[in-house]
Amino acid sequence: MTIQEIQGYSMFFMTILMAVLLYWYIFYLYRSEKKGERDFEKYGRIALDDSIDTSPVEDKLASEEDRRIKEQN
Amino acid sequence: MFFHWLEKNPFFFAVMTFAVIAFAGLIEIVPNFTEAARPLTTTTPRTVLELAGKNVYIKDNCIACHSQLIRPFKSETDRYGNYSLSGEYAFDRPFLWGSKRTGPDLHRVGNYRTTDWHENHMKNPPDIVPGSIMPSYKHQFTNVADIETAYAEAVTVKNVFNVPYGDDIKAGRKAWEAYRPKVLEDAKKVAADMKDEGVKKMIANGKVPEIVALIAYLNSLK
Amino acid sequence: MQSNAALEYDYTVAKMFTYVTILFGFLGMLIGTTMALQLAFPELSNLIGEYGTFSRLRPVHTNTVIFGFTVSGVFATWYYFSQRVLKVSMAESKFLMTIGKIHFWLYFVGALIATVTLVLGISQGKEYAQYNWWVDIVIVIVWILWGVSMFGLIGIRREKVLYVSIWYYMACFLGIAMLYLFNNASIPTYFLSDGLGSINNSVSMYAGTNDALVQWWYGHNAVAFGFTVPIVGMIYYFLPKESGQAVYSYKLSLLSFWGLMFVYLWAGSHHLLWSTVPDWMQTMGSTFSIVLILPSWGSAINMLLTMKGEWNQLADNPLIKFMVIASTFYMLSTIEGPIQAIKSVNAIAHFTDWIPGHVHDGVLGWVAFMIMASLFHMAPRMWKKEIYSKKLMGIQFWMQTTGVVLYFTSMWVAGITQGMMWRAVDEYGNLVYSFIDTVTVLHPYYTIRGISGVLYLSGFILFAYNMYKTITAGKELTEEPQFRTPMA
Repeated sequence: MTIQEIQGYSMFFMTILMAVLLYWYIFYLYRSEKKGERDFEKYGRIALDDSIDTSPVEDKLASEEDRRIKEQN
Repeated sequence: MFFHWLEKNPFFFAVMTFAVIAFAGLIEIVPNFTEAARPLTTTTPRTVLELAGKNVYIKDNCIACHSQLIRPFKSETDRYGNYSLSGEYAFDRPFLWGSKRTGPDLHRVGNYRTTDWHENHMKNPPDIVPGSIMPSYKHQFTNVADIETAYAEAVTVKNVFNVPYGDDIKAGRKAWEAYRPKVLEDAKKVAADMKDEGVKKMIANGKVPEIVALIAYLNSLK
Repeated sequence: MQSNAALEYDYTVAKMFTYVTILFGFLGMLIGTTMALQLAFPELSNLIGEYGTFSRLRPVHTNTVIFGFTVSGVFATWYYFSQRVLKVSMAESKFLMTIGKIHFWLYFVGALIATVTLVLGISQGKEYAQYNWWVDIVIVIVWILWGVSMFGLIGIRREKVLYVSIWYYMACFLGIAMLYLFNNASIPTYFLSDGLGSINNSVSMYAGTNDALVQWWYGHNAVAFGFTVPIVGMIYYFLPKESGQAVYSYKLSLLSFWGLMFVYLWAGSHHLLWSTVPDWMQTMGSTFSIVLILPSWGSAINMLLTMKGEWNQLADNPLIKFMVIASTFYMLSTIEGPIQAIKSVNAIAHFTDWIPGHVHDGVLGWVAFMIMASLFHMAPRMWKKEIYSKKLMGIQFWMQTTGVVLYFTSMWVAGITQGMMWRAVDEYGNLVYSFIDTVTVLHPYYTIRGISGVLYLSGFILFAYNMYKTITAGKELTEEPQFRTPMA
């Protein structure tokens, strides 16, 4: 197999993979929001409520705490 | 979920982003690399004097206004000569195609301009081409071209990239001292067609003015 | 670790970069305007010997604007907004604070030295990559320091989710790192010839056509990751914050991010249409340039829709004006670019003034407007002072907008005129015009461009003055404004 062929195949499959990933991503974004799993639009608030004494939209420390509790159980 | 995890892990997020942006370069640049590096059978590496001229071309940044790429259109081949071929550039480091033609293309300027023309033109372009907006490059008549660096460049590309230079081009001061007269000889040939007194004086003193190196380079563009 | 009530964001580094952004902005635009006038009145090219010719100044202009003005603007905004959206103060980490300061000083001193090398004509000869090999090393170190500072701050964040602007700045960091390293790979000749010649000289790792490909893969995407990606990140933070409206669609912003990341890099070869690179690469560059409209307009429309229902702000807040017109110019230049990348259009447009015209509606209208607007937004929050004059800001806005419009319209006409004249043939198929005919005809357009440069530069001086007066004589603010920037 020449490098051109390898290139041709990888171009072809990567493009398909990327397209699938992109559409999967769109699908994932909307489905998880519809099912109420996540609300992406609330992340837009991060820019607005950004003074240091407001509480984070998703607290990193709190969620780490949650995980630790889950793991212990 | 994969995406959910990705958005919260800066490291893997960065890796993913990098993979996505690096992909295009891999596909576009790598496969053709060896083929594009091959010279035409008639292409020869530049002489040390021409390399010094190329460095003057870079120093004064002629590339800002002049291209060295003739596109395959009749209007361009009529104006400048045969369209450019990939192999002709095989020894050009860096490539000097340029991206703007405020002045004309120079890829084959050696075919239709002479040393004498360049000498007068570089002193004050509007004298030769009325209406020209090119600045005067008088300083090239007094600045000394760095032929030693050009020689060092020839040595480097010979050793690293196997550019076919002769055996007399090798590293070290001794080799350079031995080679130097050849460069001066080439410079003398160019200067013989020039009128400027200062240039003649410098050549007589064993110095190569920038203009001589530059003209040698421009004449080699064919 | 509970959040401390007395804790505040620390803007020391952001302030330092703000000063430098203004300094390099002024220098870059001053040189640019001088060069525009030199093309209209060539005598100006020979005022200070070899150091003042158009050709010698060009890399000084481009690099000062790219690596001086834009990059320090990106750093200034990064050190400002990243703390806020990650909800962590730089004061919380001595280490990051020190890195930030070293980052600044190395950058500033490095940039000054780099500028001097270009004036002296020490150059690698590749466009936008003229800095020679040892300056490159300094630049790489500066970039690594930024990376340390960036990932360090992200590491100690409180907000778990990375706001989309952070994504864009991270991509800027990664993209430029990759491109810069590969394109500037070169071998210093001094060391390989046992110490002959100048230490500054180096030869590129690639030759001819390969060098061209690597260079334009870099050149095009330095624009992508320096002029587009971080500026999009900038507007995703500053426009919502200034208007009090959350991004219209956060999901769309994420989608356009991945779209932009994937598509942009392919488009580099559209700078090499009709050259000696293989046809399939040219076609690919052309095609992907068209595809690129989608993610670009995705972001731009998202910004405009953010203002939905709040368009009245456009009338009474000049900062919103700056940002909205910036996204409009972004839309203009991201549709213009793909048009120029169509092979038949490119045959006329390439090598003409239409190309600098295109670049400048992007950088003057989009990049510089966003950077100035962001600095205006930041100033009252960093120095706790009201903006000195709203009226001056309004005048600046109109001067600069007129400047940009004059610039690109004159260059459109100039470019297409010249492109058509180069190819014009008479009934026997002979060329009609000699080259010089196609130069002299451009004089009026070059003059208009010179005027547009003067307008834009004067606007920038007003901006600098307004910032200076804000810092020194603005009215004290007792508390931080939440959304709209207060101005007198």
